[in-house]
Amino acid sequence: MDTLQKLEILSDAAKYDVSCSSSGSSRPNTQGGIGNAAKAGICHSFTEDGRCISLLKILFTNYCIYDCAYCVNRRSNDVPRAGFTVKEVVDMTINFYRRNYIEGLFLSSGIVKNADHTMEQLINIAKHLRISHKFNGYIHLKAIPGASKELIREAGLYADRLSVNIEIPTEANLKMLAPDKNYSSVIAPMRWIKNGIDEYQEERRKSHRIPLFTPAGQSTQLIIGATPDSDRQILSLASSLYRHSDLKRVYYSGYNPVNLKDNRLPVLEKPPLKRENRLYQSDWLLRFYEFTVDEIVNETHPYLDQELDPKLSYALRNPHLFPIDVNKADYHLLLRIPGVGVKSAKMIVMARQHRNLNSDNLTKMGVTMKRARYFLTCNELPSPSVQDFKPEFMRMLLTANIRKKGIPDALQMKLSL
Amino acid sequence: MNSIEYRYDGTFQGFLCAVFDIYSRRDDPVAIHPTEVPSLLFTDKYTVITNAERAERVWDGIVRTGGEKTGEHIYHAFLSCEKNVEILLMRYLRHLFLCKRPVMDDLAYPDVLKVFQLYRTVSREAHRILMFLRFEQSADGVYFAPFAPKYDVLPLTLNHFKSRFASQSWIIYDTARNYGFYYDLQTVERITINEPAFNRETGKLARNAEHPDENQWQALWQIYFKKTAIAERKNLLLQQNFMPKRFWKYLTEKRAIV
Ligand code: SF4
Repeated sequence: MDTLQKLEILSDAAKYDVSCSSSGSSRPNTQGGIGNAAKAGICHSFTEDGRCISLLKILFTNYCIYDCAYCVNRRSNDVPRAGFTVKEVVDMTINFYRRNYIEGLFLSSGIVKNADHTMEQLINIAKHLRISHKFNGYIHLKAIPGASKELIREAGLYADRLSVNIEIPTEANLKMLAPDKNYSSVIAPMRWIKNGIDEYQEERRKSHRIPLFTPAGQSTQLIIGATPDSDRQILSLASSLYRHSDLKRVYYSGYNPVNLKDNRLPVLEKPPLKRENRLYQSDWLLRFYEFTVDEIVNETHPYLDQELDPKLSYALRNPHLFPIDVNKADYHLLLRIPGVGVKSAKMIVMARQHRNLNSDNLTKMGVTMKRARYFLTCNELPSPSVQDFKPEFMRMLLTANIRKKGIPDALQMKLSL
Repeated sequence: MNSIEYRYDGTFQGFLCAVFDIYSRRDDPVAIHPTEVPSLLFTDKYTVITNAERAERVWDGIVRTGGEKTGEHIYHAFLSCEKNVEILLMRYLRHLFLCKRPVMDDLAYPDVLKVFQLYRTVSREAHRILMFLRFEQSADGVYFAPFAPKYDVLPLTLNHFKSRFASQSWIIYDTARNYGFYYDLQTVERITINEPAFNRETGKLARNAEHPDENQWQALWQIYFKKTAIAERKNLLLQQNFMPKRFWKYLTEKRAIV
């Protein structure tokens, strides 16, 4: 089989892993070396489904000894199988990189022989790139569940980012769908990576000459809609990963019905894209808008509203907090106004030091006034606010507004909430 | 007294010299135009002579009063070549020198906001070069990339490409403005190619000017681009929103299958 045929199989097999970020690392180029890592990451292309292509995302092999219900590559599936050689992966990465197609490599793999053996293969490729080819572009390696602590620590010396995919948000459901895995085989490598990063930062304070360790941190992925787990369970898990394990990103992947005949899985016609999008928006609220999980979903509302974005739905549940005075409220409160994003909140804080702002100024700073006007006051005569309408009427007014928009909310990239 | 029109050579240095002359002659011109723009009727003309030392004095004044970021805003806004951008920038600078402190945060002041918006537009175009530029290896080993940005922003990307691709020699060429930069593993030099071996419209190298291995990598990249998409999630509108069609002619993955 030639490289082209292998690439066909092994990029197709890797496509469901949605993370493609190349951000968070600023590895400089070295004497005679190839490339560097840009702190903010760069997208080089966009697929037909509108996702950013930043890395060459492939499996080393799609042979696998495990049989996870939600995965195309599971042992019991009859699909074409292939495996790259080390040289093939290295040459492709470098030649794609030199042509400005990619920021680097995202390498994952099915499990061959055992977890340690598989992990060794991935490390070997990263090592070749870093040492033999002085490659300083971005490398994201999958940390294979069940691999030993020593190997995970070694991987961290060459990778910019490591990730272990949790995939299934609750332990009981994971057990049911992935009988060969268990929660501890997933959680343990996450802890080792976190400890590695902590130790690195500690050492770094003493000396600047120690080698980097996973400078772009770790991420994970959760599959949405393959199990009955609620949005509240999903977001609570994500939030605790951000707070306690220092994860850089949690990715949400709407379940693509790949194994139709498996009766442990629901029958879906299409991946639940809407729900996935609402989860990404909520994730942004957690990371950049200073929201807590309970403010987004709670015992009485364990699922996200599909019709309204989570920030708007929060505002409608809490009308007593509005309208907010944009000329006085602190940054934290500005972020709560539907239609005001992080960028415009920052601009407001800067601009109002010089003079009071009116609605025309706000529009020009990128505030979506159509939505925001019910939730703020500015240097103008008061207009009706969310307090003046019945909640059902308000909801109708705002959903009508949103429906007119032509382009669907984008995931991963900028979400204006 | 007649109203006065300034004429300058169209370069950023030239513009800074116009600012210098406006202050020293106490003029208040109705227009500041590059020489290639037809001049207005019924105005007196004043022609600016570009002088590096004067330009630098004005530049130092901007950076001293407003900080480096203000300098960047002014320079990028200038590159937008928007109609009458010179007069806008002149008003901005008067405001800056009158306030004697940075004014870039005062976004409710219309001139400041306008300059900030132009700065953002131009910077985004420069960033798109970093995203969508594609190299093809030529027969003599040099990596060649064409691009025709909306604004004259190729120079803003050179530091990025120089540090990233330090170990390969490359040419980045602006096919609309017909000039580019050549990196020979040592330094970056400005060049003009008179008889190009590439298509003037798309910048694609002729087959005989390509490295023998080039085709193979392009084919692999095209397959990858196709296979990494998820058919069930197809959304062409979203794709185009992020990657506008005007860039497609440079994209290896969007060119006809090789
Ligand atoms: S271990 Fe990974 S590749 Fe193997 S079946 Fe499970 S999810 Fe798929």
